[in-house]
Amino acid sequence: MSSYVTPDRSAAPYVDPTPEATQPHVPEVGATSAPLKSAAFFIGAYCKEYNDDFMLCKAENRNPEHCLKEGRRVTRCAIDLIEKLRENCATEFQRHWECLDFRNQEYYRCRKEERLLNGCAFDKLGLTKKIPGTSPGKTPIHEVPNPIYRNVQK
Amino acid sequence: MPLPWEALIPFGLLTTMYAATGTLFSVVKRAQNDGKPPRYGIESWDEMMMDRDKRLTGSRRGQQDNPIAPEGFATNSIWATTEVSRS
Repeated sequence: MSSYVTPDRSAAPYVDPTPEATQPHVPEVGATSAPLKSAAFFIGAYCKEYNDDFMLCKAENRNPEHCLKEGRRVTRCAIDLIEKLRENCATEFQRHWECLDFRNQEYYRCRKEERLLNGCAFDKLGLTKKIPGTSPGKTPIHEVPNPIYRNVQK
Repeated sequence: MPLPWEALIPFGLLTTMYAATGTLFSVVKRAQNDGKPPRYGIESWDEMMMDRDKRLTGSRRGQQDNPIAPEGFATNSIWATTEVSRS
């Protein structure tokens, strides 16, 4: 009966178990949670087709190998959008995600900065924030002028 | 007739003690969270994102908006086989 030997003590040569890469290399998204949360609805608007493709692919088969191609497209699209946001709306984007980071990453507490970012994204990039699942007649919560729930300190 | 101001000393002491402990608590919490108010109502999703932030910036509350991650990020993810304490 042989016991497990760690790679640094074993006599056998180390074989890297990583399989051959089937996709061209794509870098990972470097944005952390607050900027991603700030850009979330714009990622949804800009990368809708690639995201839907990836989710449908995952619905067929959860194996990571199955959806590498669609996943690569999702990553590239998100990187592209963050670069565009930084290029065109740098100050508004930064102020919004810094506000979110200071306030428990809750959208309802940063509506003022969000309005500025939405305006800039619409003007420069043509992207609108749409909340999926709002009923047709109802104003989406981010467009309500005087909401009940807001940040306590003005 | 002179007013008994000595009777207000205990109130003053209690107020000062509450204020001192409250301020100290707030300062300690802010120091632990990189100068920001602490996060609350954290779910597993938020835990996962904060661990990702730690891999990217070195701190669970650190933020950056670079589009591309540093080179080692793709392979430095941590898979724990048992429960680990978070710091």
